[in-house]
Amino acid sequence: MIACIEIALKQSLRDADASSLVKKAGSYFGIQIQSARTIHMLTIDADLKPMDLERIRQEIFTNPVTQVSSLSPLEIDFHWCIWIGLRPGVKDNPGATAMEAIEDLLGRSFGPDEGIYTSKRYCLSGESLTRSRVETLAKELLANPIIQQYKIFSKADWHPEKGADVKPARVILDHTPGFDFIDIDSDQTLAKISDQRNLALNPRDIPVIRQYFLDPEVAAQRRVMGLSGPTDVELEYISQTRSDHCNHNTFNGIFRYTDILTREETIEHSLFKTYIQQPTLALKEKKEWVVSVLWDNAGVGVFDEHNNYVITGETHNSPSNMEAYGGAITGIVGVYRDPMGTGLGSKLFMGSFGFCVGDIRYDGPLKPPLHPRRLLDGVIEGVRDGGNKSGVPTTFGQTLFDPGYMGKSLVFVTALGIMPGQVKGRPSHEKKTSPGDLILMSGGRVGKDGIHGVTASSESYSENTPAGHVQIGDPYTQKKMQDFLLECRDEGLIRFITDNGGGGLSSSIGESAMISNGCVVHLDKVPLKYPGLDMWEIWVSESQERMTIAVDPKDLDRFMALSSQHAVESTVIGEYTDTGKLHITFQGKTCAYVDMDLLDKGFPAWEFDAVWLPPAARGLTEPVIRTPRDVNGLITAMLARPNICSKEWILRQYDHEVQGGSVIKPLVGVNHNIPSDASVTRPVLTGNRGLAFSQTLLPWYSKIDAYHMMTCTIDEAVRRLIAVGGSMDHIGGVDNFCWPDIEYDENTNPDGRFKAAQLVRACRALKDACMAYEIPLLSGKDSMYVDGHLEGAFGERIKVSALETVQFSATSVVTDVMRCQTLDPKAAGDRVYVAGITANELGASEYYDLFGRIGANVPRVNFAAGKVLYRAVEKAMGLEMPASCHAVGRGGLGVHLALMTMAGKLGMEIDLSQVPAASDTRSDVVRLFSESAGRFVLTVPEDQSAVFEKLCKGLAVCCVGTVTDAHDCLKITGMGKDLIADLPCDILEEAFTKPFGEMI
Amino acid sequence: MTQVKALILTGFGLNCDHETALAFELAGAEPHRVHINSLVAGTVKLADFHILAFGGGFSWGDDHGAGVIQAVKLKNHIGKDLLAFVDAGKLIIGICNGFQALVNLGLLPGLDNDYTRRCVAITYNDCGNFRDQWVHLAANSTSPCVFARGIDKADFPVRHGEGKFIADPDVLASLLTGNQVVFQYADKTGNPANGAFPFNPNGSIHDIAGICDPTGNIFGLMPHPEAYNHVTNHPDWTRKKQQRKSRGPSFDPDETLGIRLFRNGVDSVRARFF
Repeated sequence: MIACIEIALKQSLRDADASSLVKKAGSYFGIQIQSARTIHMLTIDADLKPMDLERIRQEIFTNPVTQVSSLSPLEIDFHWCIWIGLRPGVKDNPGATAMEAIEDLLGRSFGPDEGIYTSKRYCLSGESLTRSRVETLAKELLANPIIQQYKIFSKADWHPEKGADVKPARVILDHTPGFDFIDIDSDQTLAKISDQRNLALNPRDIPVIRQYFLDPEVAAQRRVMGLSGPTDVELEYISQTRSDHCNHNTFNGIFRYTDILTREETIEHSLFKTYIQQPTLALKEKKEWVVSVLWDNAGVGVFDEHNNYVITGETHNSPSNMEAYGGAITGIVGVYRDPMGTGLGSKLFMGSFGFCVGDIRYDGPLKPPLHPRRLLDGVIEGVRDGGNKSGVPTTFGQTLFDPGYMGKSLVFVTALGIMPGQVKGRPSHEKKTSPGDLILMSGGRVGKDGIHGVTASSESYSENTPAGHVQIGDPYTQKKMQDFLLECRDEGLIRFITDNGGGGLSSSIGESAMISNGCVVHLDKVPLKYPGLDMWEIWVSESQERMTIAVDPKDLDRFMALSSQHAVESTVIGEYTDTGKLHITFQGKTCAYVDMDLLDKGFPAWEFDAVWLPPAARGLTEPVIRTPRDVNGLITAMLARPNICSKEWILRQYDHEVQGGSVIKPLVGVNHNIPSDASVTRPVLTGNRGLAFSQTLLPWYSKIDAYHMMTCTIDEAVRRLIAVGGSMDHIGGVDNFCWPDIEYDENTNPDGRFKAAQLVRACRALKDACMAYEIPLLSGKDSMYVDGHLEGAFGERIKVSALETVQFSATSVVTDVMRCQTLDPKAAGDRVYVAGITANELGASEYYDLFGRIGANVPRVNFAAGKVLYRAVEKAMGLEMPASCHAVGRGGLGVHLALMTMAGKLGMEIDLSQVPAASDTRSDVVRLFSESAGRFVLTVPEDQSAVFEKLCKGLAVCCVGTVTDAHDCLKITGMGKDLIADLPCDILEEAFTKPFGEMI
Repeated sequence: MTQVKALILTGFGLNCDHETALAFELAGAEPHRVHINSLVAGTVKLADFHILAFGGGFSWGDDHGAGVIQAVKLKNHIGKDLLAFVDAGKLIIGICNGFQALVNLGLLPGLDNDYTRRCVAITYNDCGNFRDQWVHLAANSTSPCVFARGIDKADFPVRHGEGKFIADPDVLASLLTGNQVVFQYADKTGNPANGAFPFNPNGSIHDIAGICDPTGNIFGLMPHPEAYNHVTNHPDWTRKKQQRKSRGPSFDPDETLGIRLFRNGVDSVRARFF
């Protein structure tokens, strides 16, 4: 029996959901809607007595003060009605909580084929509305075909009794689950199977896989188990673990690097070992605060004598480019499972984001699957719901725009956790699986969603990426699971824990069983969302919110008791062994039986040619731009550029106060509207110790040389930490690479060799910077296929690649948060200092981009000078001398002095001739907009300036002006002693907020 | 001297329990984080406590209305215990999601001492989005609210998507005459915001940010006092530190207004029950 409850806000109340649709319909498509109302619908597929239906309608789903509801379609008239519902198999979070509430109220449980499905319909009134316009709204704004379906009703089509006539979105597979043997009689056959099944096997791996199954000894052991050729479960398992996403084949590959100019020819055997592992292990010896790196789900560092902090960051690009909201919420909720699965499990205490998208005002011919504007809206909301509903503060984040990201937008998500150093007397970062331990799966159930998530992200996105690849994260289920697992941890019930991310059970169990050297898994025990999944689907599904835990049998009862108390589903699905075999069964029959060390068998490293053309060899020269006269206009134009202007509307949607440990917030200044250098948080509320966190993205410099892109990115991340009170003695790093495809192919990737060379140079820079500033890399990830094939006006498909991009996140420990500082000048009479040399380095700057130019003089980091200067600034901060401190970044001094003026709402009088600069940097414009690395702006009270200047003796630190309350203008005198800029705060603010000012 | 015992609800998506427990501890009480299912199963008795805290969070993911399912579950299983707790003159504080649960349970506004009638609601923000900011609050000195005693103005953070307080005109009139409006959103000068965004972040009628019941023992508010548990929580703390430093005295962090609000509750319980 199917019933449907319709619920709407009372007519008199403001319908925020509907008015947001009206606003976007107007501003995005010029479609005028006079009025709109939203109706939420609950389709109940269960045999409930009418009396029970009426009871749940009143007591659960209708708020008498604000809502009207009915068991038949509400009589709200409209010209057109759009119904939106989820497609079968897509996680329906409100549907699940509705069932929980009804079960609790009525004291009955739902049968396996009963269920509740939520959907909504918009009632739209407007004379100018036509079916095609309403179709546009449904397709372009409301429903993404990958996860949603829609129906459109005109006034005439609407039947008052039947209403939207919603069918339950139940998955009915009517397929008897099983497994198949796959004949791979030749390499070509296996290559064809790889294409058909989307295994994304690299051609070099194929012969090695076949030899394994043809090995007589292996074949004999398999016959004992009733197996002959490989099964689909086994091939899928190999494909997952050999995918670039899990195996980082690129970073472990062999690069033949040649430099056209210097004739250098070097063979790089493994970028990972040489430029990430080796420096980090060397620094681990020097830095006793480094606890655990390079193996677990996240890196671990010492926070205080009783607690360690945990950090990791990753990207969730492929799914977010197809379904922005689903991809982003799954990304943030997914990365939160890494700290939950690090050591014996940490408690999340903060997260950050980085969005790189195309031009949101693009109206050219290319048709990306999602317009950058809609993609950004979806990604923002996904990280908002995923972060806020997890109860984790999002304390820091950046959004960048560049046409290249229309090919593939990037969604970086970073997560930090805190955990006691010891649990039951044992180090909390150590864990292992032992024979006899039970394999438990906790959290969500398994469905078809997310199958081939990793292999798809290992391919450059094109039309054959399977649609079922995206899932919806469920932060509510995960928050319950985290509460439950932390309690288990503290009772010592957890022997080993890891998350089910890419590759699902095949990765989590496959990797954890390596330690015990074997496992037996009973796939029929795995709880499913709907019946009918084949074995391989259960084994590789990436359904969300699941952890894999090793539990000693003697602790099982307590573990299950806590699981039911926390309303979390946990199931025993197998046990760890030491047979050296990965053994999977279904209803007693063996469907997989392979050696644990199958994947260490001599799979050949991938090989790449890398050919470096220096910028000059590529025709890059400095542009010829005669000195502009209107500096006021220039500064306001720079402040209004998308990559510089205020994006407060994004940060304000993120809870950055939950857990009560906020010290330096994402937005600072008198009006709380200027992005801070870094965030500082107290993860342990009983003390004054803080953790500073910064993050930097400077992809534009890759247009000239990825080596300097990397050094500048790391240098800025370090300066951001020092600017809030961080310490050079404790800086941890997280590197996230996003690179276009580097495998050369004459037709599909002719510049592959150049992009491969850029990768080698970026890795060399990573090591140089980390060794110079002594930064062990606590975690890192790579996403190597940030290309898109966009449909053009004539049915052609044009390849659009993102810039070679690295997000570098950095952490530092602040011993006493009372000594932290913010970038807003605080008092009139304070002196303004610039620390660090300004040189003629406008290459790939925001200033040159204003004129559509790139240039050649990319900023170059001077590590030796930086190390000394940053320690001096750190010392001054420790003595609480500066009243404000700010790291100079994108846009140069002109932009960042303007930001500080707005932050302090005080006048700043600056003399450019006093700025410490290279001898050849004489022009006002270069001093204002050069993006030289290594610089700070500080304000110091008059009575402290003598001591401060003594501390900085011999360093490139000069007083360039004063703070005043005589006016609130940024007044800049140029090299010729003439006043070249005079901008009051309100003019600066008007430019700074113009692009996105009306967004909330 | 036996301890004032505070019960802080946890589980099902609630997420401010740790800092709320800390706030009670700093305020002199003995905090206990208790899972909702422990109360439902009876392994923990509500009667053993003096203060009950409905903390912030997204109980049941805010699905079907913030605080709705939490209210249904608690009313269904411990409805009577809650009413007994109120009758015993004990204190209840509901913060953000907790305030939403209290109004859905009917424990607020408690007009004519009827603690079951649902007559006010907290619905979607007018700005149409979730919003995190600090707000200025003007306090009503004549309100009987125990927690807000002696506080004339305060700054706390708000973080919600459904924070707009609404009620029918007659209910609003009763609240005003009964002095049950405790906090109003204010502008920088401390005067009520009169609906001006962003000082009033959600469009609440009469700028209402928090109300109490006629006895003053039950208090609900959207801002988070527990998130002002340390001087460095305040958005302008670096500016205040610099101003004080320039005037000489070292910047010793005295108790924040957030903790003071909790201390008012703990002290009144100690005076009343011990």
